[in-house]
Amino acid sequence: MRRFALSGFTILVVLFTIAPLLVLVFSSFDDGKFFRFPPRELSLRWFRAAFASAEYRSSLFNSAVVGLLATIISVTLGTAAALGLQRGALKSRAALEMVLLAPLTLPLVIWAIALLQIYAWLGIGGTLPGLVLAHATFTLPFSVRVMLATLSAIDPGLELAARSLGARPWRAFARITLPLALPGLATSAALSFFISFNDVIVSTFIAGSSWMTFPVRLYSQLRGQGIDPTTLAIGTMVIASILIVVALSELFSRKALRT
Amino acid sequence: MTARGPASWLTAPGVALIACVFLAPFALLVAMSFWSQPNGTLLVDPTPTLVNYERIFSDGYYLRGLGRTLWLSLVTVAVSVVLGFPVAFWIARRAGRLRRLTMAVMLLPIVCGALLPTLGLVNLLSPLGIVNGTLKSLGLIDRSIPLLGTQTGILIGLVQAFLPMMVLPLVAVLDRLPPSYEEAAKSLGARPAQVWRRVVLPLAAPGLIAGSVLVFCASLTSFVTPQILGQGKIATFAAMTWQQASLVLDWPFASALAMVMLGLMAALGGAVLVLRRGARS
Repeated sequence: MRRFALSGFTILVVLFTIAPLLVLVFSSFDDGKFFRFPPRELSLRWFRAAFASAEYRSSLFNSAVVGLLATIISVTLGTAAALGLQRGALKSRAALEMVLLAPLTLPLVIWAIALLQIYAWLGIGGTLPGLVLAHATFTLPFSVRVMLATLSAIDPGLELAARSLGARPWRAFARITLPLALPGLATSAALSFFISFNDVIVSTFIAGSSWMTFPVRLYSQLRGQGIDPTTLAIGTMVIASILIVVALSELFSRKALRT
Repeated sequence: MTARGPASWLTAPGVALIACVFLAPFALLVAMSFWSQPNGTLLVDPTPTLVNYERIFSDGYYLRGLGRTLWLSLVTVAVSVVLGFPVAFWIARRAGRLRRLTMAVMLLPIVCGALLPTLGLVNLLSPLGIVNGTLKSLGLIDRSIPLLGTQTGILIGLVQAFLPMMVLPLVAVLDRLPPSYEEAAKSLGARPAQVWRRVVLPLAAPGLIAGSVLVFCASLTSFVTPQILGQGKIATFAAMTWQQASLVLDWPFASALAMVMLGLMAALGGAVLVLRRGARS
């Protein structure tokens, strides 16, 4: 009896956690300009509007470019750092790890206020390089964490075996460790990309009118005019692509485990 | 370099990025908060002064905002503990697909950022939204309960956004607590309540503290969720800071407001460390 109570409670809390996202998806199919429940008519009207709007397209494009560039930096530096932590001198490991994971523990808003001022002095506020640098920084800890977990699950004996058979260090790494780390690389890339793509907290301080990302546009609109149903449709598509990527990586890693 | 291949220098680029782009700005923030910006200009006067801090602690507007934010953060922590503990316990006792699915759902708010869930919450809580619509069609109410623009609405948003930060550290701790501990206590004659109080709770305490600190700091500094769900009617401290930095463009004052939040968090962190040391000795 107590078991069922605990399971029931857990289901309710999990539902509460994702309820806002479920409502977002549900209400994007409502035909009205203002959402009301129960809905009167369901339609794809706002999805058509989303594809037709040049304004949203350009901000989504900006978000995608920032996300992709930040992801490349984050995954490259993150993988290198994880390798260094795992194979380097153990003495400094704890301190280095703390620095690398700092953006997870210190609040981003406070950082963004400082960054805003530094960017203004350097003249990179509101520019693409400025945004990419910031996004690479706060997504890096996620890559480091995922890659640390990935690398520690790989048997170091495999690479040593390749080396003892005459492979050079770089070749042994590229042919043995890298392929085994692929699922981890995919996971950290997906995490970095979506966290960057959906970021509003940092970007709202440092993004300007020339590189306005989608969440920044959405936020200023929400404060001013309330919800434009077109953004609900875009949000639904963003959530759908997150779920597709998660499902794909699940399939991918299961396949990698089997072979 | 030995023939062992890559070593600790591989961490250098990542550490350099975090040190220069993430940690260095905090140092500037400290300095900036003691500078000033004369009225009506955007030029900063770098003569050290306490004028920003005096303004924060003498103006009722900011003090009330701080009090309101502290209250909201504490209630968010309390609700997160009540909702999060049973869930973490449930997850820790599961293995396989169901556990992975629940953990993935708990990670979703982190990946989706602050805005997408808020967008859904507005439609959930608005006067014509799902909560009010359902209650009305069930005949339980005949006029909408105001949820947007109230502290209740903000609380719902904060708990929804930060609950995973409570659950994840708790799962990590409870994973290391084998069910045999509880069984041993039971077989020695402990009642269920006693098992909880004497065995589970003390062993889960580190996770509970870590989760509470994380949720508290996140609530204290959140501004997107409170601003949208509060409809601009309820100003939290971080929202005031955002306003000074982004709209008023008084950066020294915004820096001082940010330093107050940082100071509160440092005090909390210090208190936890002292408590832990006290508990150990």
